Amino acid sequence: MQGIYGGGMSLLAFFARNSRELLGLVGQHVYLVAISTGAAIAIGVPLGILLTRRPAWRGPVLGLANVFQTVPSLALFGFLIPLPFIGGIGARTAIVALVLYALLPIVRNTYEGIAGVDPAVREAGRGMGMTDGQLLRLVELPLGLGVMLAGVRVATVVSVGTATIAAAIGAGGLGVYIFRGVATVDDTLILAGALPAALMALAADALLGLAERKLAWRSP
Amino acid sequence: MRREIALSGWILLLALGCAYPDRIVVGSKNFTESDLLGEIVAQQIERRAALPVERRFHLGGTFVCHHAITAGQIDLYVEYTGTAYTAVLKFPPALDPDSVYRAVAAEYARRFSLSWGKPLGFDNTFAILVRRADAERYGLKRISDLAPVVPRWHAGFGYEFLERADGFAGLARIYGLRFAAPPTAMDLGLTYRALGQRKVDVIAGNSTDGQIAALDLVALQDDRHYFPPYQAAVVSRAPMLSRYPTVAKALVELEGKMPDAEMRRLNALADVEHRDIAIIARDWLRANVP
Repeated sequence: MQGIYGGGMSLLAFFARNSRELLGLVGQHVYLVAISTGAAIAIGVPLGILLTRRPAWRGPVLGLANVFQTVPSLALFGFLIPLPFIGGIGARTAIVALVLYALLPIVRNTYEGIAGVDPAVREAGRGMGMTDGQLLRLVELPLGLGVMLAGVRVATVVSVGTATIAAAIGAGGLGVYIFRGVATVDDTLILAGALPAALMALAADALLGLAERKLAWRSP
Repeated sequence: MRREIALSGWILLLALGCAYPDRIVVGSKNFTESDLLGEIVAQQIERRAALPVERRFHLGGTFVCHHAITAGQIDLYVEYTGTAYTAVLKFPPALDPDSVYRAVAAEYARRFSLSWGKPLGFDNTFAILVRRADAERYGLKRISDLAPVVPRWHAGFGYEFLERADGFAGLARIYGLRFAAPPTAMDLGLTYRALGQRKVDVIAGNSTDGQIAALDLVALQDDRHYFPPYQAAVVSRAPMLSRYPTVAKALVELEGKMPDAEMRRLNALADVEHRDIAIIARDWLRANVP
């Protein structure tokens, strides 16, 4: 049996031999992460903003997002298979699960980002006669953006790793190599899935970190 | 200084104690049957050899169990001859149960210092499964009956079945199965659920699974004898067996005691009736290995 230690060369050889398949799986992986994170932002940011306007909902909503985090992915898939529209087998089910997992950091950081704006600044805005919408658009969102982006960054990096379980429900992605490797007692195959996924997570982290620095408000 | 010497002495003793503990570590793979057999083996050692047993159950499949036992993290677990032969040793699939068993036992002893006990009695091979309604509607009894219907069907298979040399590719070739689309690759446990929910039409499970009866599925007969033998047997670290002869003796008592039907019954007790595995194992041992 080939061990991990002798696997360096054979991993490179594997990539060279299967470059087309690897690219396909990387593409599926990026697709799963991009769609699910995009959907999680589209749901999570408005939800987070809503929580700053309805503080009583904060506990239940964040609690629910917390619960999603704790459901093991295979169990979640099991529950989703029989459901119409969002269930079944394939990419759709995997994306639904990934969205549920990504919600917590995005909702929470949106809430924290806006709630953390200095009350004096908010009062100054109100004093200038801003409506709630103007206050949100011109004061709270720009000031909270750094914290919100940090949430998106965490959600994305975690999604790159979590998306490997999409392979358990026929949605493809780099998890395919990991599942195949586990099923056939093959270290090289497992690394062939895990290594590109890890690199992808690092790249996403660096890229979003850059965006965070560029876009976030710098307090003097 | 003296205190440091004393301290390092204690650390050394502690390390030795960890390296040679008087307890047997039993592993199992991540499915019910493996957990059940692990529990039976563990209880058998507890009552016959009177040694403390540590249970490391539900490890992530053949891969994890094999690495764990060769690294000495577990002392024994129940493995299947066909799995060891094709997945671990990477031999091309073979059909004769005795020659597969002999080859596996010899290679494991030589390469890993692992010892194979005699088979426990049952054979857990792949089972090609369809819903009973479909079996009756299309008159499906054997795998070869599938050929005319599968061009309109969708298959969902576990990664193990798709990847292994004795898996899907060979099955499709031998039986001339041409599916409309490539089979969906997914987690084995989820394939049962997908079949029950009509998301797929045919899956490959294990012939001794309790779910077959519970979900009212039909296992099609392997009429062209494609699947190799998967006899279950206890694999143990040879040094552990020679150190604890009572354990070796306790394990010999289990050989040949578990026929196919009995294994299916125990799996159904656990999976369908949700009985406690420890109680199933205790009752079975009382009745069959008195």
